[in-house]
Amino acid sequence: MLRFIARRLLETIPVLLIIITATFFMIRFVPGGPFTAEKAVTPEILRNLEAHYGLNKPLHRQYLDYLGSLLHGDLGPSFKYPNRTVNEIIAEKLPTSLELGLISLLVALALGLTLGILAAVRRNTWLDYLCSTVAMVGICVPTFVLGPLLVLLFAIHFGWVNASGWYSPVDRVLPCLTLGCVYAAYIARLTRGGMLEVLSQDYIRTARAKGASEARVIFRHALRGGLLPVVSFLGPAIAGILTGSFVIETIFQIPGLGREFVNSAFNRDYTLVLGTVILYATLIIGLNLVVDVAQVWLNPRLKFE
Amino acid sequence: MHRFVPFAAFCSKKPGIGRSVCLVMALLAGCAKRPAPDSSSAHVLRISQRNEPSDLDPAKATLPDELFVIRALSEGLVAPSPERGPPQPAAAESWEISPDNLTYTFHLRPRGKWSNGDPVTAADFVASYRRVLTPATAAAKAPLFFMVKNARAFATGQLADFGQVGIRAADPLTLVVTLERPAPQFLHYAASGPWIPVNPRVVAEFGRAWTTPAHFAGNGAFTLAEWRPHQRIVVRKNPAFHGAARIQLEEIQFIAFDNGDAEERAFRAGQIDLTMAIPHSKLDTYRQERPDEAHHAPLAETRYLSFNTTRPPLNDVRVRRALGLALDRTRIVDKVVRGGQEPAFRFVPPALRSADDTANRLNSTMSESAAAARELLAEAGFPDGRGFPEFELSTWVISAPVSEVLQAMWKKELGINVKLLTREAKVHVAALREGNYDIAFITAIPDVPDAANLLGEFVTGSPGNYPKWSDARYDALMAEADHSVDAMQALLHLREAEVRLVDQAPVCPLYFNTTNWLMRPNVRGWHQDALWTRFYQDVYLDDKN
Repeated sequence: MLRFIARRLLETIPVLLIIITATFFMIRFVPGGPFTAEKAVTPEILRNLEAHYGLNKPLHRQYLDYLGSLLHGDLGPSFKYPNRTVNEIIAEKLPTSLELGLISLLVALALGLTLGILAAVRRNTWLDYLCSTVAMVGICVPTFVLGPLLVLLFAIHFGWVNASGWYSPVDRVLPCLTLGCVYAAYIARLTRGGMLEVLSQDYIRTARAKGASEARVIFRHALRGGLLPVVSFLGPAIAGILTGSFVIETIFQIPGLGREFVNSAFNRDYTLVLGTVILYATLIIGLNLVVDVAQVWLNPRLKFE
Repeated sequence: MHRFVPFAAFCSKKPGIGRSVCLVMALLAGCAKRPAPDSSSAHVLRISQRNEPSDLDPAKATLPDELFVIRALSEGLVAPSPERGPPQPAAAESWEISPDNLTYTFHLRPRGKWSNGDPVTAADFVASYRRVLTPATAAAKAPLFFMVKNARAFATGQLADFGQVGIRAADPLTLVVTLERPAPQFLHYAASGPWIPVNPRVVAEFGRAWTTPAHFAGNGAFTLAEWRPHQRIVVRKNPAFHGAARIQLEEIQFIAFDNGDAEERAFRAGQIDLTMAIPHSKLDTYRQERPDEAHHAPLAETRYLSFNTTRPPLNDVRVRRALGLALDRTRIVDKVVRGGQEPAFRFVPPALRSADDTANRLNSTMSESAAAARELLAEAGFPDGRGFPEFELSTWVISAPVSEVLQAMWKKELGINVKLLTREAKVHVAALREGNYDIAFITAIPDVPDAANLLGEFVTGSPGNYPKWSDARYDALMAEADHSVDAMQALLHLREAEVRLVDQAPVCPLYFNTTNWLMRPNVRGWHQDALWTRFYQDVYLDDKN
């Protein structure tokens, strides 16, 4: 297993290099720069600005300089926020996004697994139909509809929570619920499908025949196999929750990395774009590796090869 | 669209899902009351901040949004006047102007203090201005100093000795500024953002971190208490400020929003007292149902069309005029933008005109007449629009509805086809800069209340000359205005230049923009001018309301 992980980690290096190179040149070829504004800057001032940020050097020189500082873990200064570096911005915003993502994931798992298992166990009853309907609605209603609806209800009508912000623990409720619900819906459907397949297997009948209680059959014997589809979904889902939190962060004004990521592209904040892309790429590669390892562990039929 | 009790029925009448969601939420929220940090208090004003400041360094600020905060923290020699008029004393309590109008001698307040306790001296101002003009600082708004003697040469690296720049400290409380040539509008420039000083000792000690709450030192009415990027900026009353007795607010919170709907929801939930805008779809509802919360003020902002005069047939003045004549600006304002904007028949917005120049129409060829437009177009060789090439009208996302109306009006009145091209904001501006467009929708916002600041963009070779227009007569008029010693004379030249601009039509003004915002009825004494300058000193919150 260690050899498998080591080999995968080595493969990561060229992948990251390609991502960095492609992003570096692509963002430079987008029209407009960090100092493009409707109120035009005079050419001599523009020269001062470009010299200040090293943009007057040839592009390949800038690229090599960037790779050089990257080796030291330095992601460079932000063009948009001159009093902060990209490292500082990421260090400040990533924990918020992780917190939002983690709580949402727990909400998604708690809701999704419960609904999915209930639906599978009480197959073709009203409970199954209810759970499946709720899951279907959850998949169909996008976050930018669900979020404002929850705000209208709980912040404006009842006044229990704030409509936006990220100050007290109560402020976590609506965003995490909104983000969690969408993923809960997928998890519920995958769990139901996986469980139904496993529950019809011979070894479940054997377990029942040996007199195991229904709870033991479900949680001890069926769940491990039934969760496989969920686990393979979790890798991209976690990456999606982390990178896709932009909408939630905008609806609820959460100071997370998703907003920085999207806005940096609009601002042509070259270094911040690169910094966030590198971070997200690393996260996605890492999570995929974890999922692969977890799948082998859960499914004895797979091997590390 | 906008209802204030939309969910009462949903929750109370229908059993099942609605109620169980309510129940779950109630459990999750622990039935908590609204949390404390944003609770409104009698002396805390909570304002929506729609653009996160890049920095709070006056030398680097380029947006009004940054100055919302910076002007609360620091003040320049003089400050804009809340009631359109000459700038008022701020860090300088008085000043004299030499008979030749070249030298301004500012007298600083004797007990002026930075918020860290240092005295505010004339040397601090010299150091601040030197910093703005130093090329390595890369201050985008340094050109607002260029009427000062040798300032341009120093900022562009042609002059290395700051001693030759017309800024010097005569004694610790006297600052002398010498101009290149007489400039009647100079004080308005001295009241602009980059002229706000910094404490040079703090900047030297902390470098780029000097604008963090731990180190920030300002000379204004408030001090920086908290800055959580993309979350909120909190400023507190500065008891050492010379006008502290007049300031009634204890604290201002600038709460970050980058989305108009989220901002409006937070307003309805009672989290903010003042928004930056009203969502377009909710304008009517607020005006009808909550007229005491919906506010409206004119801006010195011209929205106009730029014609690329290097591309035939747009190089023909008759074609450009015809395109302008065929439009119905009143309909655009009343039916599409609907924010109380004023149809524009000239370029300079009302807020930048002199007191005797109140007419919305100049003595020029510009009017609205579809018949005249058709005639002109026929004269130019395109009767009924026949043979007219298909043009692209470039816009960026927010102006798309206006461009659709323009397209329809040109089709109906002139029989010409225009394709719409909507681009991301920076791509749009980059295309304008390169002259890579046919017709484009843009906004002109001046830095200072000086018509020359707007009209100067259309001088040959100016970086903001998006029409790529060159007119010797116009350039001469602008140069004469620039060299006028007398304010009245300068205004006359400027007006003549404006007539020339409107007649030659490299641009076609559409409307003068306004700002619409929501404000709680208990906020009193709020002032904001047409250039987005806010005046916090008279604001208070009326508890009885």
